[in-house]
Amino acid sequence: MQSIINSIVKNRNLIIYLILSFITFNFLYNNSTLHSNQLGKISTFLSATSSKLSSSLSSYFSLIEENEKLINENLKLKNIDAKYRLNQIVDNSLDSISSARVIVNSINKNKNIIIIDKGTLDGVNLESGVISPEGAVGIVKNVTKNYASIISLLNTDLKLNAVLQNSSTIGSISWDGINPKILKLNDIPLSSSLKVGDTVITGGMSFYFPKGILIGKIVNYDSNSLEGYYEIDVESFSDFSSLSNLYILNKGDNKEIKSLLNE
Amino acid sequence: MNRELFRNISFYTLIISLQLLIFNQFNLFGFITPFVYLIIFIFYKISYDKTILILLGFLIGFIMDLSMQTYGCHTFSSITVCFLRTRIEKSSFGVNAYLPLAMIKGTSTLSRVAFFFSIIIIHSLLYYSLIFFKVSLLGTIFLYAFINAIATFTIIWIIARLTTNK
Repeated sequence: MQSIINSIVKNRNLIIYLILSFITFNFLYNNSTLHSNQLGKISTFLSATSSKLSSSLSSYFSLIEENEKLINENLKLKNIDAKYRLNQIVDNSLDSISSARVIVNSINKNKNIIIIDKGTLDGVNLESGVISPEGAVGIVKNVTKNYASIISLLNTDLKLNAVLQNSSTIGSISWDGINPKILKLNDIPLSSSLKVGDTVITGGMSFYFPKGILIGKIVNYDSNSLEGYYEIDVESFSDFSSLSNLYILNKGDNKEIKSLLNE
Repeated sequence: MNRELFRNISFYTLIISLQLLIFNQFNLFGFITPFVYLIIFIFYKISYDKTILILLGFLIGFIMDLSMQTYGCHTFSSITVCFLRTRIEKSSFGVNAYLPLAMIKGTSTLSRVAFFFSIIIIHSLLYYSLIFFKVSLLGTIFLYAFINAIATFTIIWIIARLTTNK
């Protein structure tokens, strides 16, 4: 206490000066319009600058949260967009579309598998088709409560029903295990007309995908095969090396069709 | 002590009266008004209490503001000059800063000129900064402050010479 009093006594001139300055500026501010306006401007500038600074700082520190929020919002929007686009091109056989994030992905094996962060608790069913915003990706192979594994189109075991969008010629799409960007379109007879750049879409004649989901475009074909079918190279619309968000197409009538087939 | 106090009060009253009645009416070239009352802060004895000087500065500045309708510009300039006076003394007089009448005798003329002019120019700069209170008018502030400081210095120097000779 004594030291505080000593300090006040020692700095009394400064304290008195500051008090008197405050009184003077108060007097100036209250009585002079010019000073009142100018001090008002300075005050506005200072408060705006400090608010901007603190806002920038708080935004910087909440970037992770903000990023997460944006990702979720983006997923929702993509979901709506995908649903809209699907409704435009396919029948109403889809029960629902759910979004998921890719956890594990590979493109350098013969039998590539993708794992996503959604499982049965999120309504993911076995053998549902999986698409990216660009096109078809694969089929759900295994499902746990919280995760699901997908057989990618870059898996030599998978063969999907596909058609040429222009001519509606039916074939099947598969991968030869060589180039992860190029798929093979098989079973297209030489009698069909096609050209480089033609789009390949899903045929709808399977349990997995409705008709009209984009797969890729023809980049090369060979019509000299002795078997009577083209050898067609299709460049996939989906970039399998950078998959991040996928959509699972849940078809409701799979069980019914299967039961009919079994009979 | 009482006699000295009476003499000081009489001197302050005289100077303030001179400022209010005569020098405040000066308006040379439209802006030169010598602030002769600064002589009170200059002549304030070094041995006197500096706190009293700051309070005196506030009182005199307040009177000037009321008479000139400057809303605190004189008051702030005066208390700042009074607050800084110890530092100005030391920088102007050096080792002689502790002589009770250093500002009048016992020191070199150059030191006294530096002391007088420092107090006057600081006061003028602060005064005109508050009067114009705009960064865009910085040139005008410096010009007015400098010219007014020279006029004030000349009159105060003359008064100082006259009183010292007596």
